[in-house]
Amino acid sequence: MNKTNELALDNCIKCSICVTHCPVAKVTDKFAGPKQNGPDLERFRLEEPLAVHPSIEYCSNCKNCEVACPSGVSISTMNCRAKGEYVAKNGAPLRDRLLANVELMGDFARLMPGLVNWGGKVKLFRELAERIFNISADMTLPQYASKTFYELYRENKPPVSAKKVVYFPGCYVTYNTPEVGLALVKVMAHNGVEVLVEEFNCCGVPLIANGLLADAKNNARNNMRKLEKYIDAGYQIVTSCPSCNLALRREYGELFDMEKAHRLAEQVIDVFEYLQVLAENGELKTDFKHLSLTVGYHQPCHLKAVGCGVPSKGILDLVPGVEVNDLDAGCCGLSGSYGFKKEKYAISQEIGRQLFQAVKKKGLNRVITECGMCQLQIHHGTGAEVYHPIQVLAEAYGLGSDIK
Amino acid sequence: MMNKKADVLVIGAGLSGLMAAAKAVEQGKKVLLVAKGMGALGLSSGCIDLWGYDIDQPDQVCSRPLQEIDKLIQVNPHHPYARVRDVLEESLDFFRKICAENGSPYLENEGGNWLLPTALGTMRPTYLVPASMAVKSLEEADKILVVGFKGLKDFYPDVLVANLQRNAELKPSCKLEPVLVEVGSEELKPAALAHRLERGEIIDKIVQQVKPLLSPGAVVLFPPVLGSSGGAGMAGRLADELGCPVYEVSNIPPALPGDRLQKTLLHHLKTRGVEVIIGSTVTTAHLEGNRCVKVTVRCLSGTMTISARVFVLATGSFLGGGLEADIEGIKESIFNLPVQIGAEEWSVQEFLDLKGQPFNKFGIAVNDHLQPVDESGQVLVKNLMVTGANLAGCNYPIEKCGNGVALATGYKAGKLVEVVHGE
Ligand SMILES: Cc1cc2nc3c(=O)[nH]c(=O)nc-3n(C[C@H](O)[C@H](O)[C@H](O)COP(=O)(O)OP(=O)(O)OC[C@H]3O[C@@H](n4cnc5c(N)ncnc54)[C@H](O)[C@@H]3O)c2cc1C
Ligand code: SF4
Ligand code: SF4
Repeated sequence: MNKTNELALDNCIKCSICVTHCPVAKVTDKFAGPKQNGPDLERFRLEEPLAVHPSIEYCSNCKNCEVACPSGVSISTMNCRAKGEYVAKNGAPLRDRLLANVELMGDFARLMPGLVNWGGKVKLFRELAERIFNISADMTLPQYASKTFYELYRENKPPVSAKKVVYFPGCYVTYNTPEVGLALVKVMAHNGVEVLVEEFNCCGVPLIANGLLADAKNNARNNMRKLEKYIDAGYQIVTSCPSCNLALRREYGELFDMEKAHRLAEQVIDVFEYLQVLAENGELKTDFKHLSLTVGYHQPCHLKAVGCGVPSKGILDLVPGVEVNDLDAGCCGLSGSYGFKKEKYAISQEIGRQLFQAVKKKGLNRVITECGMCQLQIHHGTGAEVYHPIQVLAEAYGLGSDIK
Repeated sequence: MMNKKADVLVIGAGLSGLMAAAKAVEQGKKVLLVAKGMGALGLSSGCIDLWGYDIDQPDQVCSRPLQEIDKLIQVNPHHPYARVRDVLEESLDFFRKICAENGSPYLENEGGNWLLPTALGTMRPTYLVPASMAVKSLEEADKILVVGFKGLKDFYPDVLVANLQRNAELKPSCKLEPVLVEVGSEELKPAALAHRLERGEIIDKIVQQVKPLLSPGAVVLFPPVLGSSGGAGMAGRLADELGCPVYEVSNIPPALPGDRLQKTLLHHLKTRGVEVIIGSTVTTAHLEGNRCVKVTVRCLSGTMTISARVFVLATGSFLGGGLEADIEGIKESIFNLPVQIGAEEWSVQEFLDLKGQPFNKFGIAVNDHLQPVDESGQVLVKNLMVTGANLAGCNYPIEKCGNGVALATGYKAGKLVEVVHGE
């Protein structure tokens, strides 16, 4: 009962605000919505853990329900656990296991990135994958980089400095957009901060979203083991991906009850929050170039859920010639592996439609957003070039050449 | 622990917090808005009540709300309206301006109250309404067709029809008819229905089922599901297709018009550069002398502090979470401000027989700058302003003034940020 109280089950006033704010329930009847699987069935789950509505698989784990709830009910945590119970009992399709196992996919692609990237664009292979694995043939697949972030980092080690942080890059930066990680390392070095890295495991969010809680917990344990010495030594742990940030700051404690999770949460920080602190102490370098750059900004759902606001905003406001337009058009719809699933692709695109329209209506061909998956989806839906805000900052410092 | 900084921190994303932020950012302030969740707006009808009934004859809908409020202030100088009378018209104009700029115009009824049908078939007075709900001249209709949807809960056209006949002043020859249209889903959630309408998927189906029932002089009433964003676009489109006026009536929560208004105002704030954090709860205030320097915030992912020069407490009452009741009594949840328990009684007795729940009058007492004060009128926290439903002295369900008080007090707080900071 204790855990239940923590989830604030009894606070639910049945107002259905969570349902109104659920992007999935808005576009499909297939999902019963956050209230039913959350607070409504949670009560039964106290007695019978398997009281789970099968439509739970349609929850994309975006967490909008929880953010909106006026009563502080931990709806999405209830839903994550419920999905976990359901998958533990009924098993998960091989497809879900593959998609959720981002590291495995990344390591495989690494053996021959050119071939994998090419294969991802060949219609025949995509149709086969759709038929055999139910992986949508229409969704743009992420491109794998020829070298991982870790390899590139080792080749371009930043100068040693007394000020150090640890960077948790996350899978998307590791395998797909190592340039984002490199931009981060350079920006920090420019400000006199040395970035250390370790070969971490996937944070676990894709596993959690697919109900594979035991695997996710395994990852969490491995990461904790690697992070422990840094936590003890008082290092700040910097992220660039909002979902990794949320996992380290919240899920490790909330879902997995891990020892030291509380201290970890205190030490994890988004890279722009870190830069904000530097700025406040007058330690941020402001030798910015004028950029003449107009971009749309999309706030990822998991960044909303972290609750640190829009940390990149205060910093990018300092760069001359950069105009950032908040798109404020809701969830992008991809939600990690969700939008790659054949039966969910249409739902995912329908959710993202509002965002795509906002980009097109404003006539923007460049967009910035912190989450790699949102980057992919916005590019897929609009053709716009999409960057991580740290790449804009690197550009402004004259350290990068990513912005086209 | 992370610390964020702003000129103005607004706590609460209900109507009063949103107004305070909108007015503060207009003056070039760096504004941060933090809220635990969505608040009462998403539950409300989305209409702005200002003052519903005649003070001397409480069973009469009042025809000039602004003048009635002048009267109210005479008999009840402790009502929140007495603190904001100087900016009331200005605040309503400001609100209408930003709604219109963002494509969701609100309409006034020539200085009087609108009298609008509800889903229960009652007629409720209210002051500003979204264009899609501004029902005009129901009394001239020759036919009123009430459209419901199979599978949509909480809206039953036959109930509306039966009660409206009793409650509204209609032509004796006016025919009322309920109809349930089928759009191919067993269970419909309002937001999902609104989305399908916006996508144009089910408009033909609706028109096919509704059009044959219409006759000249007909008016069509729908539940408030005509689109998920503000503006009367969808009602207008249906009106064109059907060839007669189409309106939404107000419904019990979760009703979309309140949600649309909240989205519209949040969008306005974000595009003006206000940083918005929803899902995070302010737990404690840190004071130095009688000034607040920062607050502690519990987010989904840990804790942080926010420092600001001026703070606006727009946390609502019991529903929003601004006031809490426990065994020891009622308290304000962040600053621990004293809560008045409605000792002030109306000086005009008999006003409103239906005195309503006394707890609705509980709240925080403030001065004309909306700063919280103790019983002797001493300011408790100098750089803090209190707005909206957590103010003492108003009984919104009975008085029909909830959103009006929230709007005007929020606006005034936003306007006074510089003044209060200087004090
Ligand atoms: C069901 C219902 C229907 C109504 N219908 C109407 C209507 O049709 N017309 C009308 O005029 N009035 C109506 N009212 C009244 C009106 O909605 C309210 O009086 C008014 O909206 C209050 O606004 P507010 O901004 O003061 O508070 P709220 O809307 O309650 O907002 C409070 C905000 O503060 C946040 N908050 C609370 N505590 C904390 C904390 N510790 N830290 C951070 N954030 C916090 C909440 O999450 C919320 O965002 C209705 C009220 C209810 C309950
Ligand atoms: S979980 Fe929260 S938002 Fe959903 S019905 Fe309950 S109180 Fe309302
Ligand atoms: S996490 Fe997202 S998809 Fe899942 S119930 Fe909540 S709002 Fe809906």
